[in-house]
Amino acid sequence: MSKVQSPKSKVEEAVSEDLSFVDGELLETSTGEEVITETRTKGEKQISFPKPEDRSSKSKNQKSFLQYIVIPLIFLTAALLGGLRLSAEDMEFLFLKPPLVCLIFAVILLVLFFRANLIKLNGWFSEGFSTLKNVANACVLLTLFFASTQIFNSLLPEKGLPFWTIAFCFFWTLWNNLFAEFDTKRLVQSLGGMFGLAFVVKYLILANLTAPASKSWLQGILENPAQEAFTFLLDLPRFAPATGYIQFFALVFYLIGLFLLKPETEN
Amino acid sequence: MNEKHIQILSVFLTAFYAFFIVWLYWVEPKSLEEVPTKAQTTIENVTTKTQVAIGTYEVDRVKFDEGLQAFRQDNFIAARDNFEKADTEKRDAKTQFYIAYSFYRQGFGKLSNDDALFKKGLEQTNRVAALDRNFKSDDANLQLKTPVELKNEFEEGLQITAGDFNPFKVLRERK
Repeated sequence: MSKVQSPKSKVEEAVSEDLSFVDGELLETSTGEEVITETRTKGEKQISFPKPEDRSSKSKNQKSFLQYIVIPLIFLTAALLGGLRLSAEDMEFLFLKPPLVCLIFAVILLVLFFRANLIKLNGWFSEGFSTLKNVANACVLLTLFFASTQIFNSLLPEKGLPFWTIAFCFFWTLWNNLFAEFDTKRLVQSLGGMFGLAFVVKYLILANLTAPASKSWLQGILENPAQEAFTFLLDLPRFAPATGYIQFFALVFYLIGLFLLKPETEN
Repeated sequence: MNEKHIQILSVFLTAFYAFFIVWLYWVEPKSLEEVPTKAQTTIENVTTKTQVAIGTYEVDRVKFDEGLQAFRQDNFIAARDNFEKADTEKRDAKTQFYIAYSFYRQGFGKLSNDDALFKKGLEQTNRVAALDRNFKSDDANLQLKTPVELKNEFEEGLQITAGDFNPFKVLRERK
């Protein structure tokens, strides 16, 4: 009985025979793509691979783009949003400049970053680097400083007793961290916890204690007596609820920027 | 794009964006619609400051003429507004003198003068004197030609003297 083969099985057999060994020379291509192309020229099989230098060059370009373009833009966006509030009455923009204490906190935070090796100073500035690279690195770290300042501006209550209480808590945490032995991961966890807690206190707890804007003082007392009392006692400013959303994204941008930041730049 | 180009782009982009943020916090626009207006004002201010710095600053003649016209029609508020727009840097003695004079004419009263306007006028006259101590107006319609005369008028108007109770005071004319 003769064995009947389908056309498909014939093709599979032919292919398996073809692929049992590779008879051809490896050629380098200048496309830089990772796809292996197969060409037949006069019965010869030529398999071409991308140039290793091209692949590394492209990868390096992407890293440079991330480090020098994306990260500064993320930090500056966090800096832009950090001081932005919306007034409760007519949703007008209010740009709050950072108080001096925010600059001090940002400096301590940067020192912490250096101590915990989140940023290695000699990996960012070196005599071996070109001047342009040192300047570009300085720009990136400056944006980190601006963003840090504005994040403290965002998370600190604007005035009164809450301002001093939260500022003291920030100072206490940062000061303790300054002398503690810890690694990068713990620093980031500590910062994440500190910023998260401050956000909850300011934009959830204190914001809910603040009385909404009302037409008259008497109307406010009658409608929201407890909130009016807290607003008066704690000297809480009245902002639109959208402020919390804006500050949430400012904090998210800042944390993404920190996540993307490399301890040292590649030479 | 090689790394060098990316670094150059980074420096410029960062500087531009940082400048934009600092500018926003400086001018404090109340809404997105206000941003172009603030930008225009900033550009005008920068242009004027540059003109002052390089010594090519000039008073806006059109605004000055509009101010003068309003001044002669006794529309002093509009006159001051136009004079201030004409000399934004407050560096032209002639324009500043007209502003001071407008305070005098607006504040003058047959029975009593407006002290608030006279005080502002006095400050303005001091500014004119600081700009040009020897300034003398060439306007024939003004009876008080120099800052000293105008200052004297303001100071007398602000003082309470026995002469203020003279009934014939109502006959005096505005200068």
